[in-house]
Formats: sequence, C-alpha cells, structure tokens
Amino acid sequence: MAARGLLLMGQCIPCVKQNASKIRIRRMELDKNLNMYFKKDTFFFAHDPQKLCKTGDVVLIRELPERMTRLITHAVEKVVYPLGDITDPITGKKVVVGKYREDIEMANQLFGKSAKAFDYDKAPPRGRLEGTKDFTHGETYIKYHEDGKDQPFAV
Amino acid sequence: MNKLLNIAQAVPRQFVRDYAFKSDLKIKWVRPEKIASIRPEKSGDLGKLPPLNVNEILPEYKDSKELQNADETVKSLFKLNNNRNHLTTRYYRDQMVREVQRHAQDFGSMEARLAKMTAFIRRYQEHMEQSPRDRVIKVRLKELIEKRKKFLKYLRRWDYPRFEWILEKLDLVYKPPPTHFHWITRKESLQKLTDIYCDNIKEERLEAYHKELQAQQIPYLEEAIKKMVFVRQEQIDCDVPVTVTEQQIDEARKELAKLKEVRDAEAAVTRKQSDDTFH
Repeated sequence: MAARGLLLMGQCIPCVKQNASKIRIRRMELDKNLNMYFKKDTFFFAHDPQKLCKTGDVVLIRELPERMTRLITHAVEKVVYPLGDITDPITGKKVVVGKYREDIEMANQLFGKSAKAFDYDKAPPRGRLEGTKDFTHGETYIKYHEDGKDQPFAV
Repeated sequence: MNKLLNIAQAVPRQFVRDYAFKSDLKIKWVRPEKIASIRPEKSGDLGKLPPLNVNEILPEYKDSKELQNADETVKSLFKLNNNRNHLTTRYYRDQMVREVQRHAQDFGSMEARLAKMTAFIRRYQEHMEQSPRDRVIKVRLKELIEKRKKFLKYLRRWDYPRFEWILEKLDLVYKPPPTHFHWITRKESLQKLTDIYCDNIKEERLEAYHKELQAQQIPYLEEAIKKMVFVRQEQIDCDVPVTVTEQQIDEARKELAKLKEVRDAEAAVTRKQSDDTFH
C-alpha cells in the first residue's frame, strides 16, 4: 500500500494542525439502488511545514513511504490551482470568471482607468488579512459560550 | 465480574443515576446573547458612514453659478440636509462607488456593486437604530446583507487579490458560514466545555510531568559522571579490565555543559518576561 507513492488531487480545507494540511478528496460514488452518483469525501492529512497550500487551493499530494504520525500519511507535492488566481492552461494567461485579466484591463484603459481602481501589480500575496478581516483560514462555529474573551471564529 | 453484578443488583435502581449522568464539575455556562443579524457586528461592517457635512449641496447643483450668488434662504433649500432622505443615501452611494470603481462609467462590476450595497446597508443600519420597528427596511436590510455575503463568497472564489482589496477598502469582515446549523443547547454546550476542561487538565499534567523530568536531568548527569569516574578509578586500581573510557566521561561532561547552557538561557528568557510584565 504505502510503497506505491500514490498521487492524489484534492482541495485544501481549514485545519488546526500545525505543519500539516487537511486535504479533501472528492469522488463520485454510484448508488446501485438509485443508479445515481453521489459525492463521497475522503480526508487526508498531508505534511506541509511551510504551509504551501491555503484554504481552497487545489493541490497534489503524494503518499509517504511510511506514515509520519498517526494522522499524517501524505506530503503536499505542489499547488495546482491556487484559489481565486486562475491561469488558463492553454494560453497561460490569468483568468477571472469568463474573461482574461488582460481584456478587462484593456477595457478599463479604454474607458479611462480610475486612479483608485484595483491594480493586480500592486496586490500583495494572499494572506495579509488573515485573522483581521478574512477568517477563511479556519473553521467557524456557532457561538455557544460567552467567556468574556474574543472569539474570532465564532459566528 | 460476578461480584460487580451482584453489587449492581443489590443497589436499588432509582439510586443509580447512570441514565442521566450529571457532572459535578464546576463549569459555568453563559448563554451568548442573541445579536440581530442586521447589527453591524453580525453583518461584518467595521466602518461607519462619515458624518454628513452640514453645508453639503445637492450633487446636481454643485457647480451652479446662480446658486453661488443666491441668498441664504435659497441656498439652504438646496442643501442635502434640507432635502429628502433618499438623496442623502444616493449621495453616500455615489461616494462609496467612486472609491472602488474601475472607471467613471463602471457601476456593474463586482466591486462597484459591493460598494453600493455597503453604502445602503450602513445607511439602513443607521435608520434601524433610530426606528427599530420599521419592518420593511429591516427585511430589505437583511436581504441586502445576505446578498452581499453571497457576492463576497463568489468574488473570493473568482479573484482572491480583488476580494482582499475590497475587504480592506470597504472595511468589511468576511467569515465563512459554519459547516452545519444547530441550535445552542445547554447540554451540548456543557459537553463541549467539559471536553475543553479535560483537554486543559491533560495538557497541564503533561506539562508538569515534563518539567519534573527535566528537573531531574542535571542531577542525574552529575551523579552519573561522579560514578563513572569512581568506577574507572577503582578498575584501574584493582587491575581489572577497564570498561569506562575517558571518552565516555568527556561526552557526559559535554552533555551536562550543554544542558546547563540551555537551562540558563531559558531561565534568562522567563526572568525577562516576568520583569516586562511587572513593569
């Protein structure tokens, strides 16, 4: 089993464990009774000391020769698709929904781009608002207890 | 086992409370106060609308020369304060959209729409403070907040850099929804709190045991070196084959020196921290 070095592709999910990432592998399973496919999730913990992948990224993970801890069985190989930063594999251009970023930029230039408008070149890498405005790196929960302390992930 | 069964049967059923176990831990549970979904702390609005300038004129008449030369009564008629409420809302909307729009004609891009919604939401929130029984606005506000949350979710998936930029620009907080909904009950909350309590105890005891073992390290090594030296001397004196080498003793000494260094550094750090807290 472990000697295969199996490669899997999945999505990164918020995880409290340090130097590991939780990866969700989603497959479709046939229900023979209904003759329909249903989603089936399996979760793996991948060793990731540098925190290569962030929540929502699609990543490749490789099976370790032997399990590192009770939970960690895989290692993150590479980030294939970072969330919200998609590159078209054919042309190699950046894409937003159905348009190339270049085209959007060109339209803005034609209309006279505003000085206050967003600029991709000036945008810092993802993760600067973690813990202040963007709480997607952790799992939120419904607040169940008032202890007087600040609970950032309570909804 | 049979003995246990006998004891269990001997005790009358009504005195054994295994069917509804009551914890005797002193954990106090406080039910969190319900915050209405239209409140800013729930909707994620950190910023507020800037206060309105008293002398602000209607945007359409701002550049009018006639108005500039007109007398005070006429001027006051064209002030935002003295006009209908929705004109002020529109004024705020235009201000916010102008901050984020891509070009002067852009009102339909995601960021422009989010800015527009945010302006309306903040305006309505101000209104709800003054008249909390306005149900029409309350519903409209709630729906707007939900729509904005949905749009933020989409924008995050489509274009992360822009999502972060808009959060910063509009001063919003984005929290993803919890994985599943459940009502808050005393029983479940107490179970969770008990789990946390037990985890803390486990952590504390492990930490204490770790410290205890660490404290034993230096005396043990010192003792070991002393014994090794003694054994070596005895073996040499009695002309028996020597099993303890100089090298082994040196290694132990080095280890001891290293350990002492580490401990001193740790002690210095903790002392500094306690000094800092004291000051």
